[in-house]
Amino acid sequence: MKLILFTLITIFIYMLAKRAYKKWPFPFLHPLLISPLAIILLITAANVPAAEYLEGSKWISHLLGPATVAFAIPIYKHMHLLKKYLRNIILSITTGTLVAIFSSFALSLFMHLSPDLIVSILPRSITTPIAIEVSKEIGGLPALTTVFVIFTGVIGGIIGPSAIKWLSITSPVARGLALGMGAHGVGTNKAREYGEQEATFSTLAMILAAWITMFWGNSLIPLMTRIIPQM
Amino acid sequence: MVCPFLGRMLTMKIGIIILQILFIHIFLFFGAVIKQLLQIPIPASMIGLLLLLAALMLKIVKLEWLERGANWLLSELLLFFIPSAVGIVNYDEILSWQGAEAVLLIGISTFIVMGTTAFVSEKLDHKERRGAR
Repeated sequence: MKLILFTLITIFIYMLAKRAYKKWPFPFLHPLLISPLAIILLITAANVPAAEYLEGSKWISHLLGPATVAFAIPIYKHMHLLKKYLRNIILSITTGTLVAIFSSFALSLFMHLSPDLIVSILPRSITTPIAIEVSKEIGGLPALTTVFVIFTGVIGGIIGPSAIKWLSITSPVARGLALGMGAHGVGTNKAREYGEQEATFSTLAMILAAWITMFWGNSLIPLMTRIIPQM
Repeated sequence: MVCPFLGRMLTMKIGIIILQILFIHIFLFFGAVIKQLLQIPIPASMIGLLLLLAALMLKIVKLEWLERGANWLLSELLLFFIPSAVGIVNYDEILSWQGAEAVLLIGISTFIVMGTTAFVSEKLDHKERRGAR
């Protein structure tokens, strides 16, 4: 009963938020900000504990699994682009993942974030299901990582187009890769506004970024986290 | 007369999407099995992605068997993040000064990430195009 209720409420709020965003496309009205906020307000007002809501909406979060599998379809359809730009894609995304990890690490040390936050923020640039796995692997808090991934997506979706404009990036491959690398699924959503090619490269970037970050999670990151000053 | 017909069309469309999503789950399942057997630190969904890609390339699976379900999953991707975003209420840390700093950090870092990725890719693209000429 609760499963159905919370699932329907979440879908309903999401649909409303999507509509509102279509009408008023301001960054702070992004469905991924507004919907969780509305749900938090709603469950607080109704005195529902967060754990109960999370349990009741597990069908929805479960769909992240098959959604990740479904990314095989755009890759398959655009295999020729992947082959043609293989070198470009691998070099750019390897650079992107390293920059994402090192800049997050350096800035969080500089800001004296707590060790929990530092470790949880490192895999923030990749898509949620994989970020959660990497976070577990390196000793972070998966729920915290999820929130950082979402912030990354929303912020990346806002600043992505300005970065592209500001650096006068013109090639579809560079635009798509930047959006997918910097803002995973939300960036890919944004890339659709540029065109199908951009969206494809963004998808490829997002998947490859997840793979490469997974690799860093098992090699480079454990070495880095050793130097985090313990509180 | 028109309405029930339209209703049936819609039900059929939703039915196809649900069936295709269930079909995609087979790959997720095999991904989980392989993960369990080999004990590798790779999420089941990522292994499932590779399995599905291989099945498509080897023509074991036809695109139209799962394309509609997959498209629905990909276009409503944002929806599936919402519950985990609500999980934020469990972390007081996020609502503190550290949370604000983290947001700033993400903004700066994401800008640098996008900038360098776009820059490297654009340079390579120009070089390759010039080489092709």
